[in-house]
Amino acid sequence: MLMIVQVTLAQVTLNLALNNRPQPWLADWANPVNGQMIISYMPGPVLNDPSVKLRTSLLDERGNIIGSSNINSARIYTLRAGVNQFTIADALQLQNLTLQGNLHNLLQRTGRIAAGQYQLMVEVLNVGGDIVRARQTRLFFITSYQLPVLMQPANGSSLDARLAQNIITFRWTSLIPGSPDLPQYRVQVIEILPGQTPMQAFRGNRPLLDETSTSGSTQFIWRTNLPMLDSTANKQFIWTVQTLDSRGLPVPGMDMNIQGRSEPAIFSIVNQIGEMDKNRKNEDLIKP
Amino acid sequence: MDHLAKIALIILLVLSSQASAQEKKKPFTIGGEMGMWYEGYGLNKAPSPAVPDFYQARRPWNLFRYSFNPTLTVGKWTVPFNFNFSPAQNNFITAATGGPQSVWQFLTNPVNNFGVRPKFGSTELLLGTQNQQYSELSTGDLGVFGYGVNLAPGKFRIKLFNGVSQRPINYLAPTILPPFSGVIGAYQRNQWMAQLGLEKEGKYFAGFNFVKSIDKRNSVTSAPLSPLDPQENMVVSFLAKVSSEKGWDYHIEIGQSFYTRNLNTPLSASPVEDFKPFINSHTSTGKDNALIAGIIKKGKDWEAGAKFNYYGAGYYTAGYPFMNNDRMEYLANTRFNIWKKKMNVVASIGERFGNLSRISGPSLTKQIIANVNVFTQFNERFSLNTSFNNFGFNSPGLAGYRSVSDEISINPAYTWINSKMSQLISGTYTWSKYDETTIVPASTTHNNTQTVLILYVPTFFTKKISPDFSLMWFQNKAPSLKLNLISATTGVNWKPAPKISLKGQLQYSLSTVDPFTANRNLLATSGFDWDIYKKLTWQFSMTANLYHYGTELPGSSFTPAYPGSPEYLESTLRTGLQYKF
Repeated sequence: MLMIVQVTLAQVTLNLALNNRPQPWLADWANPVNGQMIISYMPGPVLNDPSVKLRTSLLDERGNIIGSSNINSARIYTLRAGVNQFTIADALQLQNLTLQGNLHNLLQRTGRIAAGQYQLMVEVLNVGGDIVRARQTRLFFITSYQLPVLMQPANGSSLDARLAQNIITFRWTSLIPGSPDLPQYRVQVIEILPGQTPMQAFRGNRPLLDETSTSGSTQFIWRTNLPMLDSTANKQFIWTVQTLDSRGLPVPGMDMNIQGRSEPAIFSIVNQIGEMDKNRKNEDLIKP
Repeated sequence: MDHLAKIALIILLVLSSQASAQEKKKPFTIGGEMGMWYEGYGLNKAPSPAVPDFYQARRPWNLFRYSFNPTLTVGKWTVPFNFNFSPAQNNFITAATGGPQSVWQFLTNPVNNFGVRPKFGSTELLLGTQNQQYSELSTGDLGVFGYGVNLAPGKFRIKLFNGVSQRPINYLAPTILPPFSGVIGAYQRNQWMAQLGLEKEGKYFAGFNFVKSIDKRNSVTSAPLSPLDPQENMVVSFLAKVSSEKGWDYHIEIGQSFYTRNLNTPLSASPVEDFKPFINSHTSTGKDNALIAGIIKKGKDWEAGAKFNYYGAGYYTAGYPFMNNDRMEYLANTRFNIWKKKMNVVASIGERFGNLSRISGPSLTKQIIANVNVFTQFNERFSLNTSFNNFGFNSPGLAGYRSVSDEISINPAYTWINSKMSQLISGTYTWSKYDETTIVPASTTHNNTQTVLILYVPTFFTKKISPDFSLMWFQNKAPSLKLNLISATTGVNWKPAPKISLKGQLQYSLSTVDPFTANRNLLATSGFDWDIYKKLTWQFSMTANLYHYGTELPGSSFTPAYPGSPEYLESTLRTGLQYKF
């Protein structure tokens, strides 16, 4: 009797080859970079039931269940003899997964779960859902980045032309959370040409400056050497920082573009003499 | 190309209606302007070729841009044109095609504008590229190429537009031989938008904004690779603005967005249900909310306002594709005059909270922004401008980070006048402190910067020449860096004839990064602004930038890779003709 059970259980083996740092968007887990699930099926001499269902549980770092799939609505797979390959999305069953509390809310809003350590437990069950034929649990980490915020020159600020034609200092906040490998920050400054809107220039022009700051530094001093005082000089610029990982690939942030670019900021160049005149005009404007 | 046919049809209809208007000999006027603009760039390096390359070209070699912005008035029709375009493509942030652009790609290139807005009474047709700003939570950042209409019958406001906000570009793989970096590609993004509201000009506006964008998967024959997946987005927002006669302005906007990151993911009513009839949800669909509210009070010679913004972590709008979400912020600002209106104060303070959803860690990030600017005109001769800026950022936790930037600037200016000339002398001193702290590894970096600028401008009442002189000193000190820069600049404007103005500028600077020897730089610019005819002006400018490196470059100091110190000469020619109708 014991022999028969062992043979029966040995029919299905599960190997969950999950990348321990999968992509933060759960809907992306069909991508091969996140790993794959292999279910091996060897028909036994006594019981031959190739139909199975999967039950998925998501556990927190302490092992508490924070999400589980509905076994009743789980898809039925008919296994072929030998090796059956699945994506990690098949293992996760996102369409059939119910998360708890805040995690569910976060998934609805962002398609992601909060950064942290989790465990993915997958069980292969019979179609009735009452016999576990194989089970495996894998640990994984979710990392979710907030891209830098541009600080200086602040959005909408004005710089003196005589200073700016020598030096402009750029500062921004660091990538959050800090990465074990120092990120690279590419500072990109684009001229806004006559007749262009700032976003048009940003999307269409070639950058005047495209330089990487010293590794990890959130400041870049640009020795501009541009004739900012000239009447033909462009007086408006739009700038951003592109954050790259140690392989030189853009760090995925929260934006739509997946280019690792922070929300851009605009600055203008003003002639100091002109600015003083402007101040006087402002005063005039609010005179009764 | 379906769009092109529709737009062509509408343009024909408009032109035919104008033609019939002209036949009736209605008054015809033309205003606005047109022009062309050219920039040529050259770069010579020594040694050349330099390996490793120490300086790269920072402009296109040749860049032509054309503008055609007349406003025609034919009877009751007003037809403003907004054509601004360049035959070359220098796209960088958005994809450039691997070869020549097709006509459709040229028209929908974000760098180009081809817009016409014929208006008759309260009816306005929108054709070609339009930059429409509905609201802060719906759309306003992008030019969209398409067609639409703005209607304003009575108090009703109806705006409809359909077009393309991102041009289609095929993916091309990089190759080694011949060397080709590849093209990342892009799906064509179609965007429609609508605004339905009620307005009484200067009193109130209330209405709904609808913006939907979808990437057309069949718009390319070679699809971009993941993560550049086809997306879909829908935003609905309600906007209300009220202005009172007593100087109060209020506005509020509430928005909800649906965003599908990848249309290739399976359709699914979980985690987000469909938003019929606009959105069929996929597993990669999310929805979230945003809120903006503000109040401003304007007085006789003062103004004060406050603003509050909230953007949920999953709030996206294709109308502002680079918007930073998952944040909440408030800002209070004021502007007033005191001391017999001799002193003008502009101040603001705000705080921004990031990672509201805690998706990137257990803690909020906090950013403080404060600045104040005080301008005082003591008398006709002496004025003083002072400003203080503070930026602080804090992300607690083991992977945390903190930075504080304080900057104070003082700028006195003194002017004295006699019968022959006026003279201005102005000084600026700026002190800036920037500290960065990381928790692991525990370290703080201090970064101090000082800047001094002295400016002297004599103006001769009886001469046609006006020079100016300035000296600048800049120093940045950080643990691993000490940068000094000294620069002297002189400029001159000479008006030999009423219609022509010659200009020139010379700047010499020395910059030193310890322990290396100084880099030397000469920047020379000359040119003219010439009113050739009453309506035609010509601007011309040439700049030479000669930069001679010291021992700063890697390779030129410890392990000499270059024979002698490298240098480059950068030359830029800019010229533009502008005709005013």
